[in-house]
Amino acid sequence: MSAIVRTDGLVKRYDGTLAVAGIDLAVEPGEIFGLVGPNGAGKTTTMRILATLLRPSSGDAEIAGWSVTRNPDEVRRVLGFMPDVFGVYDDMKVWEYLDFFARCYGIPPAGRRRMIGDLLELVDLADKREAYVQTLSRGMQQRLCLAHALVHDPQILLLDEPASGLDPRARVELRELLRELRSLGKTILISSHILPELEELCTSVAIVDRGQVLAQGRVADIERRLRFGAVLRVRVLADDEGLDAAVAHFEADPDVASAMRLEDDTIELAFRGDDAAAARLLAAAVSDGLRIVTFARAASDLEELFLQVTATDREPVLLA
Amino acid sequence: MSETTAAVATGRHPIRALRRTFGGISAVGAKELRGRMRGRRAFVILTLYLLLLGGFAWMYELILAAQVGVGIGGSAAYASALIGQEIFGGLLMLITLLVVFLAPAFTAGAISLEREKQTLDMLVTTPISSLAIVIGKLLSALTYVFILIGASIPITAVVFVFGGVAPDDVIRGYIVLIATALGLGAFGLFCSSIVKRTQAATVVTVFGVLAMTLGSIFILYFWNVMASLSAGGLQGIGPIKGKAPEVIAYLNPFLAQADIICGTQTTYGAWCDRYAQIMGGQSGIIFTDNSGVSSGSGVAVPGVAVPVPAPGFAVGSDTTGGGFAVAPAPVTAFGVSRDAFWPKTVIAWLVAAVAMIALSIQLVSPTRRWRPHRPGRRRKDAAP
Repeated sequence: MSAIVRTDGLVKRYDGTLAVAGIDLAVEPGEIFGLVGPNGAGKTTTMRILATLLRPSSGDAEIAGWSVTRNPDEVRRVLGFMPDVFGVYDDMKVWEYLDFFARCYGIPPAGRRRMIGDLLELVDLADKREAYVQTLSRGMQQRLCLAHALVHDPQILLLDEPASGLDPRARVELRELLRELRSLGKTILISSHILPELEELCTSVAIVDRGQVLAQGRVADIERRLRFGAVLRVRVLADDEGLDAAVAHFEADPDVASAMRLEDDTIELAFRGDDAAAARLLAAAVSDGLRIVTFARAASDLEELFLQVTATDREPVLLA
Repeated sequence: MSETTAAVATGRHPIRALRRTFGGISAVGAKELRGRMRGRRAFVILTLYLLLLGGFAWMYELILAAQVGVGIGGSAAYASALIGQEIFGGLLMLITLLVVFLAPAFTAGAISLEREKQTLDMLVTTPISSLAIVIGKLLSALTYVFILIGASIPITAVVFVFGGVAPDDVIRGYIVLIATALGLGAFGLFCSSIVKRTQAATVVTVFGVLAMTLGSIFILYFWNVMASLSAGGLQGIGPIKGKAPEVIAYLNPFLAQADIICGTQTTYGAWCDRYAQIMGGQSGIIFTDNSGVSSGSGVAVPGVAVPVPAPGFAVGSDTTGGGFAVAPAPVTAFGVSRDAFWPKTVIAWLVAAVAMIALSIQLVSPTRRWRPHRPGRRRKDAAP
């Protein structure tokens, strides 16, 4: 399958600093593609170049076969963009807001009315049709903004940090909504620094740091290819001495880089091995008489992956 | 929804492009007007404005009736005409003052507010052109200003009761008003698109307006006073030679209105005096002191009148003989032979409006800065 969104050596300089230093992405149709990276990694710059809001210093990007530098008008027609920070117009009702953007896309009046009803239904704002936009809650405004990106039924959705500032319930609702949009055949490009929200949602991710793609592909593929190991958390039923003995036991294992007793008496292992090695480690511990209550990977896989990828020979990256 | 997408399929056909642009202008304009006209505010402003104008016209008439009745003799018709001219002058100046401050105030937030509220990004990622955004915003703001201007016409028409002012004069005054509103509206919009914050844009706009009005008057006055310094019968011995370039006054709507009001006055009147005082020789009327040109036969003083006088250049004296000599100039229907200044203001504002709109479009457009739109061609990027 050919990529529907493709960037080719994308570079953006701001007064001598490189915000994007040669990003190559390929997103296939129907994917939910996550752009992951810490703050300042170049995600928003990349998104804004794709949305034709910024002109790349060099390189180009293609969306549905149109170049963002040469055919911005065509790109705008196939693209729905939701910026990371956005405001709403005052003194405007919800339906007027969508009607305005529909008019901007040149949608004839006959189609507008029905389309607005459908969209408000989709984003669950049908009962807010006559409400003023500024009176909506943050989550509702976010959904309205998403609806605005859909008025022209675009093939591709660019969502820059769509879940930032949302409470957990609104986040779950957003996730459901994006799944629904995917089932309608849309390709969704989503950026975030909050990893768990992408992990469950995305079919592919690209990990970006300091303007470069560090890893790209399906989550499982990246994990397998890079094979970074993981942090394991083990709870052992034992007294104080027993716990120290357990730490010593784990440290003796060749696949364990280090073992540490945390304040809540769980033991954290920096583990190098694969799943088979983890199973062997557990079996060995049990047969040695350790009374193990839980034995699990500590962080989410993607987060772990992300930390490792972005931290190699660099300062550790803090996730917000 | 897919059929609607097909309906807006891209096309470079000029008529389709034109229709798209108009669609964009009406989308932005309708949205802006909806916000502006919603609620009571717009109508309260209009009411207050009309009360102000009406009250002013009434009180000014009372003042003039008292003064003219006592001071100047002559026929009742003459006195009435004089009152009509003065009310016309006063009203026109007041409306000009309101337009000069309201038109740019309505547009000074047009673009910067979109930036501040972070709505501009969403707007420019739609296929709507920057031209449609800028024109739509300007027209919607000006629609309200034009409503204010239009609503003042019945009050201005009161002057016809007194006479002394012809309908042509009123029409001229309103042409200047409309051109000024357009130009200053475009100026506010330009400030709004070049300065990122609304507050700063408003300050810049106000200072710009002050510079164009009070500033230009002061510079002209300064120049002409300096140029006409005289001693011992010799004129033009001041530090500045020659007359002030007329261009300085082009964007000053008050001078244009003074020129129009002066045009109504069959004899040399108060507005002509004020106008000539500021413009010096520009009006075609130069007043010198008695010792300078008592004969009225010509001026041989370098820098003031010779070698190249403006068309319609005139030399005269306002104290001796009560008349003035006028050099060859077109004779208008109102008996005063003069070189009309107000059309220059109208043209200057129209040109300035077009220039500022074009600049605003460039500033609003995210990717097409400072280059004409050429589809299919890439700009050589000037990377730092």
